[in-house]
Amino acid sequence: MAESDKERAERVGDPKLQSAYRALGAEEPPHALDEKVLAASRRAIEVHPAPLVAPTGRRSWSVPLAAAAILALAVGVTLHMQIEQPGIEGLPPAGGERDRPEAVESSSPPAAKVEKPAIAASAPPAARAETRAKPADPAAEAVVASPAKEKTAEPAAAGQGAVPEREERAPVESASRDIGSFPPLPRAAAPALAKRADAAAQAAADTPERELERIAGLRKQGRHDEADKALAEFRKRHPDFKIPDAMLERVERR
Amino acid sequence: MAAGDEQLMLAYREGDAGAFEELYRRHKGGLFRFVLRSVRERSVAEELYQEIWMRAIEARGRYEPQAKFTTWLYTIAHHRLVDHWRKKGLQVVSLDAESEFSAQAGFEPQGILEAKQGLERFARALELLPPAQREAFLLHHEAEMSVAEIARATGSNEEAAKSRLRYATAKLKEALGDG
Repeated sequence: MAESDKERAERVGDPKLQSAYRALGAEEPPHALDEKVLAASRRAIEVHPAPLVAPTGRRSWSVPLAAAAILALAVGVTLHMQIEQPGIEGLPPAGGERDRPEAVESSSPPAAKVEKPAIAASAPPAARAETRAKPADPAAEAVVASPAKEKTAEPAAAGQGAVPEREERAPVESASRDIGSFPPLPRAAAPALAKRADAAAQAAADTPERELERIAGLRKQGRHDEADKALAEFRKRHPDFKIPDAMLERVERR
Repeated sequence: MAAGDEQLMLAYREGDAGAFEELYRRHKGGLFRFVLRSVRERSVAEELYQEIWMRAIEARGRYEPQAKFTTWLYTIAHHRLVDHWRKKGLQVVSLDAESEFSAQAGFEPQGILEAKQGLERFARALELLPPAQREAFLLHHEAEMSVAEIARATGSNEEAAKSRLRYATAKLKEALGDG
């Protein structure tokens, strides 16, 4: 019972203290404040249903803004990648390598792919011609690779420093062959590479037959000196090429 | 029979603006005096009072009638006041520390005892209570909270709440010449 009285006293409090407290006054909030709070309460249920999570100070525009920023970033990165990749992929292979059987090998094992650039890049022109004539046989290529490897080992043996094998290759070759293993080239390097690639492509386009046609054209125009010079140059570059009789009549001075 | 506070709050959560108006009418005076007597400056009290109601409005979606509405509302008020005191450089842990707070207020017991009017002495004693004790007293007298409810609203335990209320009561009685 005593406990109950104590509880009651605790709940009600000391009457004298309570009356003193009440005597301090019954201040009320100003009417304008009432209106503000009530207006906010009405606005809250008109604009939004009850939020499950109380706002933490961020404004309502932060979420759409963040989404837009992420979208813009994603589009930017995608475009950047699309601009960079075709610039490299679009480069034609140098030195008539389009004709080489290995150039169309796309299903070779990665190890073989790593080996091939070293062969083609560092081999002398004669070796290249030999390579061109050979079938796409990895074993056969390995045979061709031997001298090239020896050649690339020489500078290191001569004390010129261990230059990475990749750096010895022509940029176009390395770009066209190692597209999968190299990081994207810097944007600034793209125009220079493209120019060099065009020159290489022009040379590649001049097949022996075309060259002969060009010489025949010179001959026909009466530019015999130029034709003779071109023919001599042609024979120097293609010593093994047998000129058909019909073409021979057209290109040789009569 | 009038709807309880908890029912009104649930009705407001479901979109009944009138329910909130009734709740506001019931509790605006008590909450305003609680804030006013906690911070003493009227302009600050009005600002805090408005913010407390705004927080209650924003948090309506999380309201669950597991506790009394007054406990929920005054818990919001307590947190807002703690933020206020923190900004003013008062540590929450020192809310019970009478010496520090009294020194700030230039408390002089002798001056209080010599005050001529009992009510003035009471008002000043209330002002000079350590914040946590004053808060316990105001919650008890304005929100009519029990010790357990005070503990819950202020995030403390019942022993601490009971102790604060007892100290506050003793000092105020002393100020009234009834100690």
